[in-house]
Amino acid sequence: MPAPPLAPRPTVDPRGPRFAAWLTSAVLVVVLATGWWPLLAAQAVVFALGGFAGLRYSPYSVLFRAVVAPRLRPTDEREDAAPPRFAQTVGFGFAVVGVLGYALGAPTVGVVATALALAAAFLNAAFGFCLGCEAYLLINRLSAKQRKVGTAR
Amino acid sequence: MTGLLVALGTVAVAMVIGFLVRSLGGRTRPSTAGAVPDELRRVLAPGAAVTLVQLTTEFCGTCGQARVLLTGLVDDTPGLAHAEVDLTDQPELAKRLGVLRTPTTIAVDAAGAELLRVGGVPKREELLTSLRPHLPA
Repeated sequence: MPAPPLAPRPTVDPRGPRFAAWLTSAVLVVVLATGWWPLLAAQAVVFALGGFAGLRYSPYSVLFRAVVAPRLRPTDEREDAAPPRFAQTVGFGFAVVGVLGYALGAPTVGVVATALALAAAFLNAAFGFCLGCEAYLLINRLSAKQRKVGTAR
Repeated sequence: MTGLLVALGTVAVAMVIGFLVRSLGGRTRPSTAGAVPDELRRVLAPGAAVTLVQLTTEFCGTCGQARVLLTGLVDDTPGLAHAEVDLTDQPELAKRLGVLRTPTTIAVDAAGAELLRVGGVPKREELLTSLRPHLPA
């Protein structure tokens, strides 16, 4: 179908989202081990910044550019930023449910939501498999309004 | 303590899922779905014996890889064509097709019948072997 003329789509160094996924996994393991939900709330803010404002505004992405990228070999490899950005919004949803569960006295809900987010983050970190991206259609189908659930634009 | 066990268990399960996705993803599955919907029939390449219809979304991480593989395969294989259908704004079509993940590639013959489908980035040799009987000698 004919796409309307758009500005070039934003791209990212693919190693950035992988690095962010490792950090996210580590944070979520600590949340599960300690049950300290303010840390999960902080992770939710990170997800929200990356998902709603844009990947470059995610603190993990800032850290990658400032500290990690200069130590890596430079690369021309770029990937579309929309899929990882969408995945951040999915992560945000799970983190919010997790925070509510822990904070409102339903720790089982908190643990399950956090564990699901950890599984997705770990799959991304270790295997480069972006669960949120692949399952966009499934998530879209489950979303009540049958509309685009992503606001990644 | 329970929380730590849940964390370790989750990582272990994710490892298993990761290896399963890596080994099972991209496998070719024969299909008995019959005629494809008009939305897919419309993109079939005229004159091609088989069109590989790649289903994508805007948020698909590995659709680029699948596109490179499929266009390369098409360039090397007479009678084979490649087309893409973006399902981002067509949840209803995705539902009718029974597609839950992208990329999914559906091979369709000239008559509009679905031959096989592949979820994930296809494995080139396996896909080509499955397509052989449907391609001109």
